[in-house]
Amino acid sequence: MDVPRVVRTQISTSELTPPQDLVEAVNDGKVGLLEIVKALGEYLTSTEDEVRLNGLTFLSNSLKAVNPAKINRQATQTLTNFYISKLDDFDSLPPALGGLTVLSRLSTFDDDAAVEVYKGIVENVNMKAYVQATRHMVYVLFDSLLAAHRNALKSMGTSFINSYTKMVDGEKDPRNLMLLFSIDRVILLEFEVKDHIEDFFDITFCYFPITFRPPPNDPYGITADDLKLALRKCMASSPYFAKMAIPLFLEKFGTLTGPSMRDLQLTIAACLPVYGAEAVRERGSELWEGIKTEILYSSDTSIEAAALSALESLIHTLYPTEQDAPTGLAQDIVKQCLEILNEPDKTQAIAATKILAAIFRASSSAGKFIISQALPQLFRQFNSPSVPSHRSPILSTISSLLVAVQSVYSSSVSQRSQDQEQSLEPYRDSILDVLREGLRTEGLKSPAIKGCTACVQIPNFWVKEDVEDVVRGLDDILINDQDPEIRPEVIKSLTTISTHHPTIIESLTLPLLFHNLPDSAPSASDHISREKYRSILSSLKKLCIQPALFQTLIIRITTKLDLLSSSSSKVQEEEMGEFDIRECNIAYSWDLLNSLQNVIDKKIKEKHSDSIRYIDQIVPRLNTLVVSASTSSTQNLKLDDVQPLFKDRRLIAIISKITESLVWELSTEKQSKWFNSVYQAFEKGDWAEVIHEKTNVGSVGSPLRTGASSAEQDLIALYAGTVQGLKGDTALPFSSAAEFLSSKIHWTINVAKDSWQVKHSLDLICAFVNKRESELQDSLETILGSIWSAEIQDTSKDLETRRRGLSVYLHIVKAIALLRNPLSYTALDKVIDILSLSNLDPNFVQYAASGFSVLAQGKGKSHLTAKLLHAQKLWNFVLPKLTAGDKEASGPGRLVYLTAFASLLPLVPASLCLADLDNILPPILRSLSLPDPQQRTNAITTLISILETASDSKEVDRAIHQNVEIMVEFLLKSIIRKEGLPTSPKVRITALSCLSIFPDIIRFEILHKHKSIVIRELGKSLDDPLRNVRKEAVECRAKWYRYGNAV
Amino acid sequence: MSRQLDNDNPTIFAPAISTSTKRVQKGKASLWSEEALSDDDYGYESNQSGLGSGGEQDMEDIDAEEVYDLLRSITDPEHPVSLEALRVVNPDDIHVAGNRVLVYLTPTIPHCSMSTLIGLSLRVRLLRALPTRYKVDIRIKSGTHQSEHAVNKQLNDKERVQAALENKHLLNVVEGCLMTADKRGN
Repeated sequence: MDVPRVVRTQISTSELTPPQDLVEAVNDGKVGLLEIVKALGEYLTSTEDEVRLNGLTFLSNSLKAVNPAKINRQATQTLTNFYISKLDDFDSLPPALGGLTVLSRLSTFDDDAAVEVYKGIVENVNMKAYVQATRHMVYVLFDSLLAAHRNALKSMGTSFINSYTKMVDGEKDPRNLMLLFSIDRVILLEFEVKDHIEDFFDITFCYFPITFRPPPNDPYGITADDLKLALRKCMASSPYFAKMAIPLFLEKFGTLTGPSMRDLQLTIAACLPVYGAEAVRERGSELWEGIKTEILYSSDTSIEAAALSALESLIHTLYPTEQDAPTGLAQDIVKQCLEILNEPDKTQAIAATKILAAIFRASSSAGKFIISQALPQLFRQFNSPSVPSHRSPILSTISSLLVAVQSVYSSSVSQRSQDQEQSLEPYRDSILDVLREGLRTEGLKSPAIKGCTACVQIPNFWVKEDVEDVVRGLDDILINDQDPEIRPEVIKSLTTISTHHPTIIESLTLPLLFHNLPDSAPSASDHISREKYRSILSSLKKLCIQPALFQTLIIRITTKLDLLSSSSSKVQEEEMGEFDIRECNIAYSWDLLNSLQNVIDKKIKEKHSDSIRYIDQIVPRLNTLVVSASTSSTQNLKLDDVQPLFKDRRLIAIISKITESLVWELSTEKQSKWFNSVYQAFEKGDWAEVIHEKTNVGSVGSPLRTGASSAEQDLIALYAGTVQGLKGDTALPFSSAAEFLSSKIHWTINVAKDSWQVKHSLDLICAFVNKRESELQDSLETILGSIWSAEIQDTSKDLETRRRGLSVYLHIVKAIALLRNPLSYTALDKVIDILSLSNLDPNFVQYAASGFSVLAQGKGKSHLTAKLLHAQKLWNFVLPKLTAGDKEASGPGRLVYLTAFASLLPLVPASLCLADLDNILPPILRSLSLPDPQQRTNAITTLISILETASDSKEVDRAIHQNVEIMVEFLLKSIIRKEGLPTSPKVRITALSCLSIFPDIIRFEILHKHKSIVIRELGKSLDDPLRNVRKEAVECRAKWYRYGNAV
Repeated sequence: MSRQLDNDNPTIFAPAISTSTKRVQKGKASLWSEEALSDDDYGYESNQSGLGSGGEQDMEDIDAEEVYDLLRSITDPEHPVSLEALRVVNPDDIHVAGNRVLVYLTPTIPHCSMSTLIGLSLRVRLLRALPTRYKVDIRIKSGTHQSEHAVNKQLNDKERVQAALENKHLLNVVEGCLMTADKRGN
């Protein structure tokens, strides 16, 4: 390789990065580094500044590029000396620094060289003359020297520190400061800085407090917080700072505000432990005054929190161990706090409580001291308060202290424990007394609960009897207190207790709760009893999730349901309120079942393995209730007999849900066995295996047989529940899946009595097809084809049959579209085709268009299998066809396509809409004027998700801003109730919440014309008959009032 | 602190207990829990044919509790605390009858110069949040303020309220107090 030629070409073309082949040649040893230097010779010594600079830059860049191992000791030395000689050359400095930085990292670079380089720089470089980038290079070099040759620099002693502090003095650039602060910290920690501390103080504390604000779109990404943290670490690096720093802090207390005050408090918190007890003690009370002001008077909670951490640091520094007697400042602070607490109902009392809690957390000795001072006074105040209303805040203070104690003693990090400190021991009885009284007294319950929860969690404090005592008090509140705010607190407390003492909850709380559940529903007008049983149920829902308590719940609830079902056949009682007693009992049973379902779902979610064990206890018992109810009435129906309770469809539906959840959790073998039993029952009429007590059930055939009563047919929901819970690989009790499917399709279209039965059998069909796709693969096309030709296309059939046919068709399409089966798209094509027939067959076509909502449901909460991107694929298939159809159609014919579009919208994720906004936005906007409220709701919901999805894309932003006026106009139409336009609370609420997004994301100048109109129209919504709509309207209007007002 | 506060250590109260005013649900909602009614799957109306559900329910009138809900979370001009916690507004001091709303406010101290400002905040909130058919009266609770009469006069004089709201600075302070109004006690 002709090195001189290469170098010459590079330099003369000002291409100062060494070419790759040259670098490789050096790395391979074919070219020596020296050859490059030689080749550069004439340039490096040139008298022309520019030429020399190019030469140097090329050399430094070469050094950076080549393998460091190729630079030997001699080369290192020579190059170092060469670079040092260039340091006084103003223009050459940057490349020289670059070269030196590379060299300084080499193992061949020795301590002497480091000292030489350092000296060379401080003697020759005038920092103030250089730009930020060059100064940065100097600091990088310093950092590198300090990292590898710290001891050499240390041995320079005073001269190093003197020159260093002079060099970095006056630096202002945040990028450089970030680096400097970290270098400063190393020096402060490792070097002998005691005699030079004033210099260091000058170059670090001069930056405090940092008020830097990064410019908008700062490419360097340095935030004020980065700088603050780095500086704070520096300031907390050396105890020698104390003498100068503490007076500075004290001075700053008076002048700083806002974020700077917060910075000050946090800095104090960081510094005091480093500065040490002795230095801090001298000015302790002055520091306390400054901290105190921010705790007592600050209106900013983040400053208050910072001040509290400063206080913790102060106390911890002064009283670090248990042996440090809490004399002096601690005594003063406690005295002041207790004085404030003499007026416990004032705002400052809350602050004083926080101060006491902070002291407890900070130090063992001071902590014990404040407990011994505060608790006796608080007990005294509690027992003989000057004003009765003082007792609540006093108890709050006691509880807050107990919470602080608990947080320290039960923490695994802290070394402190009740066993060892015994801080609460003298007050054991008094604590229990006030808490017990609090639990009994109106207005004191909330703080008492807080205190009890804390005490239970302090290890080795309360014995079993104490906990039992408190649990009894809590139970009493749970049963008897009407206040809706208290109950959640009790439940939370009991749940916490149950993790520490489950047996106590099981033996005390549960029996009491169950005992208070009525055996039959309160009458319709008895709201208080109803609220009470609801509150008990909601308590049970939370408590009984624990395995130890779950079985009790099952037994108790099924027993209650048994009682309810048998009591309902009694003579009808006096009718009360709007509903008869049967309706009340149904609602009560529903609540019981719903509680059971909630607990089961929660347990499944938390993966408790015990829940499936109970399927045999739950499902057959519930089945018994339903089956006996549906079959009994057919046999001997007397005139005055009340309908059996469990004939009610709402109860059947929820039992079906419970069945689905539990079946889904079974293993495939167990599922197979269970499904076989269910199959026998429904197809053959053999109920033996799926119900609990055979005797209660009349011997009737299959509910699906022809001639079954409507009540028996309702049992289809239970069948559907089991099928929806089945997994794909569960063995089936029959050989032909297609045959099974066909029989269900036939039943749905021709036998089912009404839409409720149809809905459940559609669920069954959808789940079955979805899970058995592979087995049905060959026959599905035929099945779909025959439904299409026999049921849907045949206009001679009545409309209801055709509709049911279409529903079945769409549910099957949905089942396989979730799996991205190609058949689903060809099958759907037919449905899209008939949309063009709207003038021939208007009713049916309209139905078909809104039928797309079946597909829009997607997987939802069901157990259906869905492949990734199924929604995208379906959407990408359907949308172009709908758009094309829409373009071809005219007049009212277009409306059908729009309806189909709006019905399908919930399927589409916002990201997909954003990607194709130009095509999707226009139909969405047109959908806003559809008459059907549900479809409008879909359109608005999609609009909300588009608006809420943050997007950096300029096109999206432009599209939204261009169309926002139309959006506002149509949304305003949807929020108002007007004759002639069907509406629903849902569409009004959705439209209002969409409108309230605009002020956050749309630039004001676009919408300022509309502000007054929107506010006027929203005024009408304030008078909506529904409270929830009004609420949304009020907050939406408030936002629009603020829109454009810079506050 | 830039300015001496009128009352630098006011009394804080626990949230008001709302049992006395607990609304009794009407119609279906009285018997069926919210969950049952919200879940379409259980289809309360078993004879409906899918579409067009959710017909209009009963009329829920604006009551004192709703008005209280609108006001409770407004922030005090001096402290970062809600008017509810300071008991400046109380559920029992709000009366709704027909198209009239009457709100009594209780200043924390008898010489509180902020009373007018608080009253103004309440008025602005209600002006924006209640239908126009309502006539709103805001009064200082009798016997709780030195210059009760003057404040009342100022708060219920349309022109004076209008004039106050044209003052940019004052409006900003009011807007600041109203920032938290949407929390509604939570």
